[in-house]
Amino acid sequence: MRADFRIWGLLPAWVIMGFTLIIPIGIVIAVSFAARGAYGGFDWALSGEPYVQILYQVGWTDELEFNPQYLYIIARTLWLAAITTLICMAVSLPVAYYIARQPRAVKAALVYLVTLPFWVSMIVRVYAWLMILGNDGVIEKALVATGLTSGIDSLLFNDGAMLVGMVYSYLPLMILPVFASVEKLDGALIEASHDLYANRWVTLRRVILPLAWPGLMAGAILVFVPCLGAVLEPILLGGGKQLLMGNLIQTQFGGGRNWPFGAAIAVVLMGLVMIVLMARALRDGGRHDAA
Amino acid sequence: MTLKTTLLASAALLALSTAARAEGELHLYIWSDSIAPELITKFEAETGTKVTVDGYNSNEDLLTKLQAGATGYDLVMPSQHFVRIMIDQGLLEDIDAASLAAFQQVDPKWRGQWWDETNDYSIPVAYGTAGYTVNRDQYKGAVDSWSVFFEPSAELQGKIALLSYPDEVVGAAQLYLGVPFCSENPDEMKKVLDLLMAQKPSVAAYTSDNIENRIGGGEVAAHFWWDGNSMKTRANDGANIEYAMPKEGLVGWIDSLAVPKGAANIDNAKAFIDFMSTPENATVQYNYYGHSSPVALDLAVAKYTPENAPELFPTVKVEFSRACSPAAQDLVTKVWTQLLQ
Repeated sequence: MRADFRIWGLLPAWVIMGFTLIIPIGIVIAVSFAARGAYGGFDWALSGEPYVQILYQVGWTDELEFNPQYLYIIARTLWLAAITTLICMAVSLPVAYYIARQPRAVKAALVYLVTLPFWVSMIVRVYAWLMILGNDGVIEKALVATGLTSGIDSLLFNDGAMLVGMVYSYLPLMILPVFASVEKLDGALIEASHDLYANRWVTLRRVILPLAWPGLMAGAILVFVPCLGAVLEPILLGGGKQLLMGNLIQTQFGGGRNWPFGAAIAVVLMGLVMIVLMARALRDGGRHDAA
Repeated sequence: MTLKTTLLASAALLALSTAARAEGELHLYIWSDSIAPELITKFEAETGTKVTVDGYNSNEDLLTKLQAGATGYDLVMPSQHFVRIMIDQGLLEDIDAASLAAFQQVDPKWRGQWWDETNDYSIPVAYGTAGYTVNRDQYKGAVDSWSVFFEPSAELQGKIALLSYPDEVVGAAQLYLGVPFCSENPDEMKKVLDLLMAQKPSVAAYTSDNIENRIGGGEVAAHFWWDGNSMKTRANDGANIEYAMPKEGLVGWIDSLAVPKGAANIDNAKAFIDFMSTPENATVQYNYYGHSSPVALDLAVAKYTPENAPELFPTVKVEFSRACSPAAQDLVTKVWTQLLQ
């Protein structure tokens, strides 16, 4: 009886998941094996061509040649997501630790402040960085006002600006889970560590970090996965000089008029995300078994 | 209880959205901010029709949405080459446009063109060019050729911006190199790629957003842009910018009103096309949009003249973008992907 309810009681969830997640993903996969339409769109026909196209291209002289350009784009996307995740991890630990050590009321206020940016549209938040980093922007004005310099070149349109935007956008997703695990951290353990003559560094490495680790891992996935699909920051702050997977997919569905290829790249992107999630799930599973 | 309420609420919403398809409605899907809001209000007041407006920022967005089977739109605003593609793909409704009152207002030079030879599907509403704009505080040199933009001098190093998609940019490079639009010749397109690759070290950004601020505020010194937008930023915001007239020519576009296949309110859509094309309303539209009008205007009220808006009256040849074959389009995409790889 109860087991039955467990299944049909979740029916609304199954229906929503099916219609809004499973079926659309199925369609994307199906399109990635379809034939492209001449002016966008696609025709049903089984073809592996889009996947071949990821690795090989017809060269300027009309022969099929190995072409690593899409691999570069995939590698660049992974690299950017990884760097963003690492910076977020490094920044969020002290922030979360600090918040967790505050009195209850202050803590609540600080957590609220961390979530506040989510109430503002992503585009608006990225545009704010245009005003901070741009010509005559907040940073330049501040530097000029202090008399340090008479003016600087624009700080926009480089990898640094893009990275700042990415870290800024996704940092709250890291702080919240890290905060959740740091908050539960028992102060007595830190005292015990000091009693056993551990210095601050050893305490951090041997006590705090291991206890915060589950939060850092959860945050890493929350940050890494959306970073793989980032489109806004690379174009608006980075200057769009190099394609990432998100822009590449957009190009193929839009001006490129090659939906099957766009779908194939989306499937590859999805595959990468699944590998990350499964690796994590397997490791967790292993740990539980051991324990 | 809560579940029941939710279900009831959803049912009510569904009922409402179905009602929204009924008579007295008109759903526009047009270029963002392209139609004067006061004309929408006026049309609603005159006809009692409720108008909704959705915007898009590229022809590709529109085409993709219609191909994906978007329904619920009654009027769209594609550029010439996309009118052609949409007709060929069976995405537009035959509204016998030549029989509309609006057609009599259309300048004869825009009738029976290659994108709609029989004038069955579309009535043009605005036209203009794509070229480049320079910030005169940053760059003082001549702007009579695309060479200034594509083969920049040291002065423009790191101070150039282009659009984030290839459509007009590749067209301009083709004009400069003397390569025909929609070339299917890989050698010719390789030359286009080489030109853009050589330009890339001087490029600050490939982005289509927020152009007004970037070029008006001097973040960059030269920006690929459209005539009317450049004119409005100069005239309204007092930006010290100039729209170049390169001797190799400008890339032309002309947007038309057309009805997507299966639209629910075809009569209202036709009424709106006629409404937009009366000299009085077309002039209001012209003064708002700041792009040239293919329909007759009330010249006594028209705000922009060759004297105060030279951007809109090109002195060089204008070549209109074509509907490329898949082979040609693949070469364009290839150029762009390799450029940004």
